[in-house]
Amino acid sequence: MKKIIGTILSSVIISVSVFTAQAAVSTDELKIGITQEFENLNPMNMTMVASFYLYNLAGRALDTMNTDGKWYPQLAKSIPTVENGGAKIITVNGKKTVQAVWEIIEAAKWSDGKPVTCEDFLFARTVADSNNVSVGSKETYTQIDKIEWDPKTPKKCTFTYDKARWDFTQLGQFYPLPKHIDGPVFEQYKNVKEGYDKNSNYTKNPTMPGLYNGPYKIDEVKLGSHVTFSPNPYFYGPQPHFKKIIVKLIPNDSTLEANLTSGNIDSVSSLGFAFDKALAFEKKVKAQNLPYTVMFKPSLTYEHIDLNLTNPILKDVKVRKALVFAINRDDLVKALFEGKQQAAIHNLTSIDPWYTDDPKYVVKYSYSKRDAGKLLDEAGWKLNDKDGYRYKDGKKLSLVFMTTAGNKTRETVQTYLQGQWKAVGIDVQIKNEPARVFFGDTTKKMRYGAMAMYAWTSSPESNPKPQFHSSQIPTSANGFSGQNYTGWKNAKVDELMEKLEGEFDAAKRKAMVGEITKYYTDEVPVIPLYYRADIAVPPTALKNFKLPGHQFSETNEVESWDIK
Amino acid sequence: MTTFIIRRLIQTLIVIALLSYFCYILMTLMPGDPVELMIQSNPKITSADIERLRTLYGLDQPGYVRYFNWVSTILHGDLGYSRTYRIPVSEIMGPKLWNTFILSTASLVLALLIAVPVGVFSALRPNSKTDYFINFFSFAGISVPSFWLALMLIIIFSVWLKVLPAGGTYTIGEEYSSWTAEVLDRAKFLILPTCSLAYLQIGRFVRFTRSAMLEAMRNDYIRTAKAKGMSYYTVIWKHGFRNALIPLITILTLSFSGLFSGALITESVFAYQGAGKLVYDSIIANDFNVAMVSFIISVTMVLIMNLLADILYGVVDPRISYK
Repeated sequence: MKKIIGTILSSVIISVSVFTAQAAVSTDELKIGITQEFENLNPMNMTMVASFYLYNLAGRALDTMNTDGKWYPQLAKSIPTVENGGAKIITVNGKKTVQAVWEIIEAAKWSDGKPVTCEDFLFARTVADSNNVSVGSKETYTQIDKIEWDPKTPKKCTFTYDKARWDFTQLGQFYPLPKHIDGPVFEQYKNVKEGYDKNSNYTKNPTMPGLYNGPYKIDEVKLGSHVTFSPNPYFYGPQPHFKKIIVKLIPNDSTLEANLTSGNIDSVSSLGFAFDKALAFEKKVKAQNLPYTVMFKPSLTYEHIDLNLTNPILKDVKVRKALVFAINRDDLVKALFEGKQQAAIHNLTSIDPWYTDDPKYVVKYSYSKRDAGKLLDEAGWKLNDKDGYRYKDGKKLSLVFMTTAGNKTRETVQTYLQGQWKAVGIDVQIKNEPARVFFGDTTKKMRYGAMAMYAWTSSPESNPKPQFHSSQIPTSANGFSGQNYTGWKNAKVDELMEKLEGEFDAAKRKAMVGEITKYYTDEVPVIPLYYRADIAVPPTALKNFKLPGHQFSETNEVESWDIK
Repeated sequence: MTTFIIRRLIQTLIVIALLSYFCYILMTLMPGDPVELMIQSNPKITSADIERLRTLYGLDQPGYVRYFNWVSTILHGDLGYSRTYRIPVSEIMGPKLWNTFILSTASLVLALLIAVPVGVFSALRPNSKTDYFINFFSFAGISVPSFWLALMLIIIFSVWLKVLPAGGTYTIGEEYSSWTAEVLDRAKFLILPTCSLAYLQIGRFVRFTRSAMLEAMRNDYIRTAKAKGMSYYTVIWKHGFRNALIPLITILTLSFSGLFSGALITESVFAYQGAGKLVYDSIIANDFNVAMVSFIISVTMVLIMNLLADILYGVVDPRISYK
């Protein structure tokens, strides 16, 4: 229903838009529109993508990934590595681990002028370790066993990790907490379930000086509406150019467009337009010479179809391969996305450093109805000339194909693919469900029949263990908590993923990932479809604005944004 | 009358208690929970994290245990904690309910001020050109999709004429010199959503008023009143309109019961900070505490307004008595 409404709204806007756009943006104020909800901005409790987007305007980590996909230090002077001598591999109680020295830059201060020290990182780790605090990914913090420092050098922290892991420097979501402000709150409520969450100053008084250490501080938070930022005078880096930033939540993307063109907002963030809306708006920008740039950038979001390997038909790898051969993904992205989203060949997107298209590691399936038909013949599925479908032992080759109901793009892709599979004699029955049922029950319990289309968003160089490891197959025994929804089991892949964590040699790591990719593309537990694009619509006058394409938002570089 | 009201209030409390239990249990049966949403947005969440969070949130408990925990919290005056926004429910709901109340009341009052006289006027001139004209606009009001109307208003008044804001609740960052300045600023943001909501209600109210008034004006006592030489306005308002009020009271009290429920589409299109979208999102995200509080408010309003309607029937029609 919401999609239908959205479509009608879009058509209405496009058909009547004979107005002149207002994009007189100045450094006095930048109003950014988002369509996604955000929550309380305590970095410890945040889970929503929009919350991280907002928090990164005001809070920084030791390091993060820039919009070019490279790790760089934020609060740290430099990133310690084994090669530069900042880190070493040690043995503690007979266990190999890493010890790294993270030095916080001298000028790093909270927004009340108090310095950011090792104590704030230890405090964050202590809070995260509490079973009474709602932390999404606890391991982000508890991967560090110990944080120590000499009282004479409170900004030089020695981190001892829980095990030898190659990605020990990737602490982009390990945010410090101001102990001088939230320490007493935690002490008071640490034994109460969610006591800290409910009473933290981020919850009770989010504009309090001292809660943030980034280029901006928060002046006003209205959940479900907007957040207002002004420059933090104690920011360690160059002062940002905009005197005020207002991020407004406008939940409907057609209204978002009306707000943009009427000057109520100046820019639409990467959490704004849906893909189809952005395509339509780009045409309007060109036709009417509007002062906006519609930006598309390949992202780490991987749209794919999970194949249920417990399905008797799909147990045969020949059928799975035939399904891939039968679809023309290059045509699909050209026809539906005007080439602005790339066809996928496996789970790693082109902006991931682990990405490879080397035939040594990737089994490619170029569109070939003939190859698909041949494989199906070999699997015993013979074409019946009367109805054009294939049969084996009197049973029709029929597969159930599910996705999230109401997602217009996915439903269009589904219809497109259904037609292509029909052309090789495969009957595909579409059965869609609302997202909450689809994700909350169907995929989680592997009840999707044969095929389930959805997307995974990952980090660059992310170990695919949660999705590929056989221990992650959801079962009633593990409370359906695993995310290997295809039920793929490969002992060699399990072993490679376990070893990957402890491999410090980047070249060897890439080779190991290549091996995993080879098994993945050869055994086809999943049909790769396309890599989604990140989209934003900044005013043309805004310079140094770049889309990241990964989970570390563009707001990490807000201090460089300026007006041409 | 007092016994009747007390009896109805006790029944209301029982109905609220029973409905809240069934509603809570039904929500627990829906697929997915707040942790599922976290998994979708954070691929790094491990199985251990999922288990830990479910225990922390009490999602590992049976539905009835969670319900009684929730009731116990409510009875202690604590509305609970929103899983979606991660702040106390009272903090997120209070301002939004107030905004919704203002918007709903403004649109309802505007709709009534226009619809009742227009409906009466139309009923007194049945099948005239004026009647057809009014009916046309009434049916348009009933039929027009709310999102379309809202968007048209934005395009005309915000995009083309640039006289009213396209959305929001007040000017962000504005420091008001006086309370009147604040009221005027908020009023500016209320105009479009109020007009949009009011137009949708006007059609309905005009039709009801016209039909009730037509029915009342056909009665013998109207002819008798006219024959007795009463003035035109006395016949219409004292005898006709008063008797037309009973069906109107039913629809009016039902409309009042929705004052806090919000208008999801209108609030979303105008990015108005009301309760409608909050309630929708809370149900979708299994944010039990927010959803249950809004449910209790809705049920209570419906029951109280029904009670009020029953009382008002007696006031306007002396033939109705309560024993």
